[in-house]
Amino acid sequence: MRKYGMAVFGWMAASMAAVALSGCGQAENNGKIQIEIVQYKPEAVKAFEELERKFNETHDDIELKIDSPNDAMTILKTRFIREDYPDIIGIGGDINYSNFLDSDMLMDISDYEGLSEIQEAYLNTAKELEFVPEEGTYAVPYMANAAGVLYNKDIFDEHGWSIPKTWDEFKALCEDIQAEGIQPLYFGFKDTWTCLAPWNAISVDLAPSDVCAQVNRGETIFTEQYREVAVVIKELLTYAQADPFAYSYNDACTAFARGESAMYVIGSYAVPQIKTVNPDINIDSFVFPASNVAEENILNSGNDLQFSIMENCPNKEAAYEVLNFLLEDENVQIYLDDQNAVPCKKGDFTLPSMLEGMTEYIREGKMADYQDHHYPSEMSVDAMIQTYLMDDSENALDTFLTRFDTEWVRYNRDLIQKVQEYEAKGGN
Amino acid sequence: MKKKMTDRERTFLLITIPVLLLFFCFNTLPLLKGFVYSFTNFKGYGSYDYVGLRNYKDLLADARVGKSYLFTFKYAIVCTILVNIISLLLALGLNAKIKAKSALRAIYFIPNILGGLVIGYIFGFFFTYILPAIGQSLGISAISSSMLSRTSTAWIAIVIVGAWQSIAMNTIIYISGLQTVPDDVYEAGSIDGATGWKSFKNLTFPLIIPFFTINMVLCMKNFLMVFDQIMSLTKGGPSQSTESISFLIYQNGMSGGQFGFQSANAFVFFVVIVAISVFQMTFLGKKEEQL
Amino acid sequence: MMNKKVGKKVNWPLTILLMIGCITVFFPLYMTIVIAFKQPSEMTNDIAGALAFPATWSFSNFAEAMRVTDFWHSLSNSFIITIVTIVLALLIHSLGGYAIGRNMGASKFYRFAYLYIVSGMFVPFAILMMPLVKQTAQIGIANMFGVIVLYTVFYMPMNLLLYSGYLKNIPMALEEAARVDGASTWRTYWQVIFPIMKPMHATVAILTAMGTWNDVMTPLVIMSGSGKNTLPLAQLNFQTQFGTNYNLAFASYLLALLPILLFYIICQKQILNGVVNGAVK
Repeated sequence: MRKYGMAVFGWMAASMAAVALSGCGQAENNGKIQIEIVQYKPEAVKAFEELERKFNETHDDIELKIDSPNDAMTILKTRFIREDYPDIIGIGGDINYSNFLDSDMLMDISDYEGLSEIQEAYLNTAKELEFVPEEGTYAVPYMANAAGVLYNKDIFDEHGWSIPKTWDEFKALCEDIQAEGIQPLYFGFKDTWTCLAPWNAISVDLAPSDVCAQVNRGETIFTEQYREVAVVIKELLTYAQADPFAYSYNDACTAFARGESAMYVIGSYAVPQIKTVNPDINIDSFVFPASNVAEENILNSGNDLQFSIMENCPNKEAAYEVLNFLLEDENVQIYLDDQNAVPCKKGDFTLPSMLEGMTEYIREGKMADYQDHHYPSEMSVDAMIQTYLMDDSENALDTFLTRFDTEWVRYNRDLIQKVQEYEAKGGN
Repeated sequence: MKKKMTDRERTFLLITIPVLLLFFCFNTLPLLKGFVYSFTNFKGYGSYDYVGLRNYKDLLADARVGKSYLFTFKYAIVCTILVNIISLLLALGLNAKIKAKSALRAIYFIPNILGGLVIGYIFGFFFTYILPAIGQSLGISAISSSMLSRTSTAWIAIVIVGAWQSIAMNTIIYISGLQTVPDDVYEAGSIDGATGWKSFKNLTFPLIIPFFTINMVLCMKNFLMVFDQIMSLTKGGPSQSTESISFLIYQNGMSGGQFGFQSANAFVFFVVIVAISVFQMTFLGKKEEQL
Repeated sequence: MMNKKVGKKVNWPLTILLMIGCITVFFPLYMTIVIAFKQPSEMTNDIAGALAFPATWSFSNFAEAMRVTDFWHSLSNSFIITIVTIVLALLIHSLGGYAIGRNMGASKFYRFAYLYIVSGMFVPFAILMMPLVKQTAQIGIANMFGVIVLYTVFYMPMNLLLYSGYLKNIPMALEEAARVDGASTWRTYWQVIFPIMKPMHATVAILTAMGTWNDVMTPLVIMSGSGKNTLPLAQLNFQTQFGTNYNLAFASYLLALLPILLFYIICQKQILNGVVNGAVK
């Protein structure tokens, strides 16, 4: 058998290397309760590192670990597969939250006292994300962002333009701007997701905020609710640069930063990218006026970051302690100083200057969530909107709306069934 | 046991069986598990239900999946032909008696190692700004607006970038194939007066046919699974005209909540490519034997 | 153009043609380099501005990129994964290619093994991902070693195809000579066949390295819990949902490009030196 010795030896060497390499030690526990947060905004890593350090300095019994990984959604999903759950997740208030909740992965935290300090509007936003109304509360909204129209304040001041309050005023403004030889709007529609920015801002004004839930209950159809929204978004193209489908989000940010357009229909989240190109730009924002009734125009604002405790977190009290810490005024301010955001906590915080035009709406709670937070991502509504905007044929509008309704049913089949079973049982 | 195994047979078996086992554990086993998911409405996490053949029925009715097959095959065929012609020519050129051979070989290798972000930005800039500027100044209307913003041309832009990136890999394989062609073949050929195209067709090419097969198969595989170029250039747009099969599988199965359905899509896709490749290999294998 | 092998003279027209072709590589590379040296405030959409030199040739972006990616740690992790994968590929895949390639003509079993493994190349990774995440976690290899094992399996089909293809051009007579001298098949392989496949080893090494060096997906899903980063994983830092720092990213890509380019140049020499002329007849 010696002849085969080499072959056997080879395989043994390979498997020994396996053992050697895989024998990495586990992080040891030093008697403290460990709380792990995974939050999905890597851009806020600095703020969270500071918060983590501060927490651990002031707490002897709990050790906090905050992960801010890149591509956090993939990482979270793979960790769920491994059944390696963190204690708290910090994610956006979007369809992922609805899905996690629907899969019974989150803990009911209605007995958490900190909830009373959160603005009602944001708690409602989180509530509306539930597929079927659940008993209890599952998220602590932490930060919100807002979308509407960013404008170049210097250009506006120079020409004495004022902020439009209605759709007709907005169109008149765009025409004035064009008449001055300035580009009113710039779009980066090559990146399909940017199509959702104007879409969301318009639909909060013109469609009911719970339109998706209504459709799921079979009370209405999108063809009725979204017709006006679709008309308005296509009219915007009149005031856009030539061939907006050729330019990316990044191109549009750069163009706006360089003063190539007076306005940019996008969310507050784009401001940091714009400012890297032109740190001195003077940006302010206003609520998109899609309706001709000024009162109907409300701010498009959603939960950008909210915390949920995982169902199988063993130390609920410790997790509450961490949430308490994160919600302390000075710690909220640490986050705000690092990121452009709107705190969901009640109180007087310094808001970023480019949101001045929106503060009134925020204080009064005149706002509604991004409608795309209710769209399943695999339906690719952004790409459908892009397709519609590029469609020059006469019946483009009807094609789009019909498609919206049929695809909605196809992609939400299980959900619609669930909702209607729930309704059949008599709701609550 | 009809007869005792020879040393040779036994060695071959001792090598092959562990290799097969390793492969089974980390390729076939997960594939089978994925196959099981294709009968569920699994989102990628949480609980799920078995839905029977529903995903497969949906697959047949799904216009988006159908369109992605058309796009992917059109793309793969054009790219495979283009890349094989160019990289064979390039390999012959780089294998010839030329100056600065090592430097040239290194330069032509670079495209393959530039990351997706670089490709997306640079080629995005090229197609959005530079090419239209050239087109306008020369008055060529076909390129005076961005290729990436029209459904009729966006796929060509992806072909260009895809080919540009993959030529390096196929050239390397052709070059190593050309190394197995002994010099005396050419010497013998030149005595017979075979030069240029004739020498290539009659002497070189038959000897590198195994490498031609390999390249055809690898090309088909890489291009049918096109994903990176789509992600960095168009993300499926404009108007969903450049959604490849892999793009859908990844985008909707992993990022979206369609894991079960896209597992069915992936499995069907797997069977389709295996069928094509087995056909390709048997067909080219026969050619090899004829020569 | 094809008769260059015969003449001993340098083929100048061809050299010039190939050099002109290099523009297709130089242009994107030039843009990458220029952007890597610029500051974000120098980014613009107009062509002249985009192609212009940076205001200053400062290496600050490179230093910052190295800091953000924790360069030396990420680099060494990437190195370990790539090198170990290559070594395993050269040993296991070449053996497999030899055993299967030499027998598939005559034996149905080996023909099946060949088609079985090669067809594994066409399994879309997305379908394998979830099960593999679970499987690697269950057997405790959700770490760098797991990534290496997976690469060894993922590249097996391609490398098997390459090795067995190459073996078709290596005559049996060579082995038979050794066997007549009384060497076992195992010894013959290491003493005769393995060395003669040197150009193919170099090719396999390059192709495997290219695949593993830039790969994001496998380490992202397998190693994400291990607290270790590879270079491409660390480079994700430059991209967030709503903003990308192209300047730092490009600087970092250039840094990551150099090792693999060097490796390629070394391997190229091996492909050339290993010419089997004469030996194969």
